[in-house]
Amino acid sequence: MAELVSAAGVAHNPFFPLIVRDRGPGAEEIKRLYREVATRLEASRPDTIVVFTTDHYNAFFDVCVPIFAVCTAERASGPCDYPQLPQFEVELDSKLALALQADLVAAGFDVAASQEIPLDHTILAPLGLIRPAMDVPLVPFFVSGSIPPRPPARRCYELGRSLRVALKRCPLPRRVALIASGAFSFEVGGPRIAEDSHVGVPAPKWAEHVVDRIRATRVDELIDEITPAQLERAGNASGEILNWIVMLGALDRSRPTFIESQPEHGHAFATWSVA
Amino acid sequence: MSVYAVNKVCRRVVLDQAFREWLRTEPEAALRASSPPLSEEELKLLLAGDVGRLARMGASHFLLHQLGRFELLGLTLAEYGRRIRREYEAERARWAAERPS
Repeated sequence: MAELVSAAGVAHNPFFPLIVRDRGPGAEEIKRLYREVATRLEASRPDTIVVFTTDHYNAFFDVCVPIFAVCTAERASGPCDYPQLPQFEVELDSKLALALQADLVAAGFDVAASQEIPLDHTILAPLGLIRPAMDVPLVPFFVSGSIPPRPPARRCYELGRSLRVALKRCPLPRRVALIASGAFSFEVGGPRIAEDSHVGVPAPKWAEHVVDRIRATRVDELIDEITPAQLERAGNASGEILNWIVMLGALDRSRPTFIESQPEHGHAFATWSVA
Repeated sequence: MSVYAVNKVCRRVVLDQAFREWLRTEPEAALRASSPPLSEEELKLLLAGDVGRLARMGASHFLLHQLGRFELLGLTLAEYGRRIRREYEAERARWAAERPS
């Protein structure tokens, strides 16, 4: 039987690995935050990591954009969009991906399956810092948070709840960790960029508020606050919060063992232990 | 459908190094050879690096900014930012006025 053992929420800034490598400004802080996640992940001894992320036009482009999708391939590589980052070829847990998809579809969630996906920075930039050996198979799980229309936050939360049930029903012996990748407020190349950059954090107070809600396990209130208007104000990448919402659905209002934000980046780091 | 063609050009810039270099050295030829085909207006706007107008037409910001990232069509990331801010100047002023002090 599969067992949920831990979870974490992380940022996926593609330049963080380079800052760490080059000992640039902020490197020590970045290392500390990822180390908090890495230490707790290691302690939970996962056999598989399910990574919730949003496609940045790399896996699906906008040829055919699934609202939810899982990669059922046996291997994948990347990051395809930032060749200057360390490149990895990674084993995927195809059997678990197929089992989860089947159970979730039976439960009423239209989860697509892709048999071939390039991995981008949203998965491999953070994992390269958390687990550079890449010795734990992954299940990439996509939520259409960046390319409209986005699924409602409530739907994402219910998906997470069903995923927890699916894991309990799964006959495969697995210790499973969940990782949610993404920011709460970020703008890439759009109208809400900063005055001096091509990116921006339009709503840092919203990002802090999200952290406060998660810390206090006020998940229902948070879900109600994630409206289309709020996501627009928070930036065109702010739909990445939905990855965290799916993960929170699987955690059933557990309190995080660690949570810390970087409001200037519009994101946070958090971990959960699951008994 | 046409905005899809613009998005696709931008995506190829990220993933297809040969296309990226062709766009750098022979922009009009590379764009005219794109599939699906660009409209003449889109072609003109891309050659001019008019990312503001292309964004208004619905091209993805995530993808458009890659033209600046790879310094194509007269753009850099800084210039990309300037052009987007200029295009959305009125909205940005309104958002700034709405922001609580």
